[in-house]
Amino acid sequence: MDPTLSMYISQGIHGIAYGMILFLIASGLSIIFGMMGILNLAHAVFFMLGAYLCYAVVTLTGNFWLGLLIGPVLVAIVGIVMERVFLRYAKNVGHFGELILTMGIGSVIVAVIKMIWGTENKPLPVPEQLQGMVNLFGVSYPIYRLFVIGLSVAILIFMLLLLYRTRLGKIVRAAVSDRDMVNALGININLVFMFVFGIGTWMAGVAGVAIAPILTVFPGLSDQVGMDAFIVCVTGGLGSLPGAFIVSIVFGFLSSYGVQFVSQFAPVLMVIFMAIVLAIKPVGLFGTKG
Amino acid sequence: MNKTMRNIALWLVLFAFLAFFPSLFGVYYTNMVVTFAIFSVYAISLNMLMGYTGLLSFGHSMFFGFGGYGTALALRHIEGIGLIPAIGIGAGAAVLLALILCPLVTRVSGTAFAMLHLAFGQLMYVMALKLYTITGGEDGIGNFPIPGIFTESLKSSPENFYYIAMVILILCVFLMWYFTKTPFGQVQVGIRDNDMRIAYLGYKIPQSKAVIYVAASLFAGVAGSLYGLSHNLVSADGSLGIWMAFSPMIYIMIGGVGYFFGPMLGTAIFQLVDELVLRYTESTELVMGIVLVLVIMFLPGGFMGVFDKLANKLKARTSKREEEKTT
Repeated sequence: MDPTLSMYISQGIHGIAYGMILFLIASGLSIIFGMMGILNLAHAVFFMLGAYLCYAVVTLTGNFWLGLLIGPVLVAIVGIVMERVFLRYAKNVGHFGELILTMGIGSVIVAVIKMIWGTENKPLPVPEQLQGMVNLFGVSYPIYRLFVIGLSVAILIFMLLLLYRTRLGKIVRAAVSDRDMVNALGININLVFMFVFGIGTWMAGVAGVAIAPILTVFPGLSDQVGMDAFIVCVTGGLGSLPGAFIVSIVFGFLSSYGVQFVSQFAPVLMVIFMAIVLAIKPVGLFGTKG
Repeated sequence: MNKTMRNIALWLVLFAFLAFFPSLFGVYYTNMVVTFAIFSVYAISLNMLMGYTGLLSFGHSMFFGFGGYGTALALRHIEGIGLIPAIGIGAGAAVLLALILCPLVTRVSGTAFAMLHLAFGQLMYVMALKLYTITGGEDGIGNFPIPGIFTESLKSSPENFYYIAMVILILCVFLMWYFTKTPFGQVQVGIRDNDMRIAYLGYKIPQSKAVIYVAASLFAGVAGSLYGLSHNLVSADGSLGIWMAFSPMIYIMIGGVGYFFGPMLGTAIFQLVDELVLRYTESTELVMGIVLVLVIMFLPGGFMGVFDKLANKLKARTSKREEEKTT
């Protein structure tokens, strides 16, 4: 096969893999904003916490799958505690106060992570079953990245089923459009909020675990990937899942093909894309809330 | 002694204290005061947008950074330029950027305004990193000449730099204070609280916002320019990074949103805590995070809010006593 073409294909799959990771983080952020109106600046920190907890489980038991299972659940518990203890009692401080509050909680979590695990890079090996390459359209490609794509798609389908096929999903969608009305109908909105916050942070945790073997685990992880996910969320329109999905795939391609063609200016491409979209439509591609 | 006399005396004491500060406390604390003054001006300029006009900006750092880069580039590339023109070029660069962005950003408000600024702030940050032939990339522009006004160079004399910086910064604070006291400053608050009504009163909302926006960016530019001069270094992470965009918001939140001197108080508290914490432990993040959470949970109006409440209580008590006297 033509080597140029095979390079294009492998870069394309790279792009999809990175885009799916971004989507996992961004969708949690987006759904939390859409429903609760809280812009969770600590979301990227939860993502990093997932990676660290998985690392801890792997060093304790040596089993990656256990880490994938336990890590995100622990992250979700931390997220629920944050919602229950802090955000619920900070209703009267306004959006701006909530923003700074999530930022403060985020920096506390980062400080605790640095205290426990230090600041150096922690390598996390790819699990045995997923090591090696596979031949795909004549291109050999690492299995692990394909697994990441598969995992993300599985979670995406799970989320869609949850949102559009269950009673709980109906309540959540109703609360996104008008939470006071849902509350007036006798639904315990606080419980739903807690659940949504838990799901959102759980997805961030899964993304953290998925990316840990690729990028290794280090305290700069939240800044590096978190900023990208935040940009995805904003460009796609806060609170919109389809928007987050489309933009994260576009950004995945932009970053992988950008590195190939204009390696110097790859990060600029994403930001320029965001600036152009927001200049034309300030609420983002699919955003409705101002 | 009446009230105006007392006020004048207080101001004189304050200025005398500031004038003798370098000889009393030495270089270390002098530099600290300069940093405090720079960040106060920066935070107050953001508060003009955020607290007074209700426009939340995630990218105010781009004006700060433009001020720094403008001054640094002018000092490096223009032969024999004076200090004041160089600072003017920095502030002018910030104003130019604001004028370019104006038509775009004044149409929106709320979250969209914040996000648009996040986009442009990040754009400027990444551009500063990538256009390294102009900006020096990650290293930034360092070791540029700093001419004095009366002396040859300010590099070896922090006292002289202190006086020049303090005069400029105090002037900035006074101008901003004056700006909020004008009738136009009241229109700002009106736009924040009910922009529809201000529009019905015959004010043009986007144009009014634009004037405030440009003024805020001017003062942020001056602050950024002096920050670059005080470190003799302007870098992408130091002046344009995301932390520089969020830190003034934290100062404002700790001090009190919407109070003119709130950001100043917040900057002072933040710097003090930073200074004290660094003596005992490395993890300032932890302490800062805890302070932020506690302030927002228990003091939603910031520290100025607490003072305001106490003053009100005191006033209520004295007026009650006077009432009792008269009856």
